[in-house]
Amino acid sequence: MVVVLLPGMLAAEAGGRKRIEVDAATVEDALRALPVADRLFDEHGALRPLVNVYVDGVDVRERDGLGGPLGGAAEIRLVAAIAGGAPRP
Amino acid sequence: MRTILLAGTKKGLFLLESDEGRRDWALRGPLLEGWEVYHAIRDARDGTLLACTNSPVYGPTVHRSSDEGETWERTEELGLPEDSGLTLERTWHLEPGRADEPGRLWLGGAPGVLFRSDDGGATWSPNEALLRHPTRDRWNPGAGGMCCHSIQLDPDRPERMHVAISAAGHFRTDDGGESWQPANTGTAADFMPDPYPELGQCVHKLLRSPASERLWQQNHCGVYRSDDAGDSWARLDGNGLPSDFGFPLALHPRDPDTAFVVPMGGGDDRLTCDGRLGVYRTGDGGETWTLASDGLPDPAYAVVLRECLASDALDPFGVFLGTQSGSVFGSADEGTTWTDLARQLPPVLSVEVAAWS
Repeated sequence: MVVVLLPGMLAAEAGGRKRIEVDAATVEDALRALPVADRLFDEHGALRPLVNVYVDGVDVRERDGLGGPLGGAAEIRLVAAIAGGAPRP
Repeated sequence: MRTILLAGTKKGLFLLESDEGRRDWALRGPLLEGWEVYHAIRDARDGTLLACTNSPVYGPTVHRSSDEGETWERTEELGLPEDSGLTLERTWHLEPGRADEPGRLWLGGAPGVLFRSDDGGATWSPNEALLRHPTRDRWNPGAGGMCCHSIQLDPDRPERMHVAISAAGHFRTDDGGESWQPANTGTAADFMPDPYPELGQCVHKLLRSPASERLWQQNHCGVYRSDDAGDSWARLDGNGLPSDFGFPLALHPRDPDTAFVVPMGGGDDRLTCDGRLGVYRTGDGGETWTLASDGLPDPAYAVVLRECLASDALDPFGVFLGTQSGSVFGSADEGTTWTDLARQLPPVLSVEVAAWS
């Protein structure tokens, strides 16, 4: 089992649950098992570009991607990307 | 009888409640926190609240509530088929079906798409004829995206309805949505090489009079009226309006000759004209327009978006508007005098008014 931590808007969409335990083999399977999967993926199955996924504190892009095995991972954290603003000079 | 104003904002939905006198208003919200509410309605057939909700992170969807906004359900089956090559970008406008079509709803979105629901908004199917319209490659997005923002049903002809898309123009179906014909003769597209093309016009808002089959539109290039279901359009600005440009439109619930617009500068200066928040009213079918802004702020430099002007059906009828500055104003006497109903809200994206028993 892995615990998925949801940020505020998604938690509200999941009936107020901020932590959801799912049984899944891969990161993607875990996300697709969530009641907010349609907010994470578009209608063609692509992860929405401003959704970041961390597995045990590591960006999924620095692991094996969404399709990578969860192994013994304990926690998936979803983070809405902070967009906007300009880099400081 | 209660009167409820639904103010969709960039940060959730606010409800303003009053009685039939529409003098004192109580503010409730924000509901749907975090969502950009492009449009929200109350379906008079069953009392359901529905909202076009969008998020830059979590995408476009629709929320609905059957308990006056206490709890909300999100539609989960909403999207475009993979073989269309398109992805749903935004939800823009909700329109209930006819009184004898329980459960039917229409939804406009970007990129220039129309959906139908027959189960009260739980699931949605794209209109294939519009999705795969042979002229689609000639459509272009306006500054707000290629939005299908206006959906009007003919109450007397079940097979006829109208949509408007920015910037594709006005389209009409006479076969229940099996096919759509562009109907823009007489409306200008000054930004195109041919200023009077078959399609490509930047309609900002299109409404059908509740009292007749007359259509009105506020366009990027003018205000227009059609008395033949859109086959031809007559331009109505230049006779009292300070600008031909604007976004919203509201109509009299019973008199087809009376309409309201809020002109703005059409160039780089997209603010209400003459340094005031100016609502303009016609009572003669658009032949002449007069300022109807007693009580609205002056000076003011405001932006009023396409869904931000609404009228109710009471007698005298009320007119309501919302601004990007976070104010909601109302008139309970048909636009003659105005008061502010709420201020310092997030930027207002839409205003609708509903009578609740």
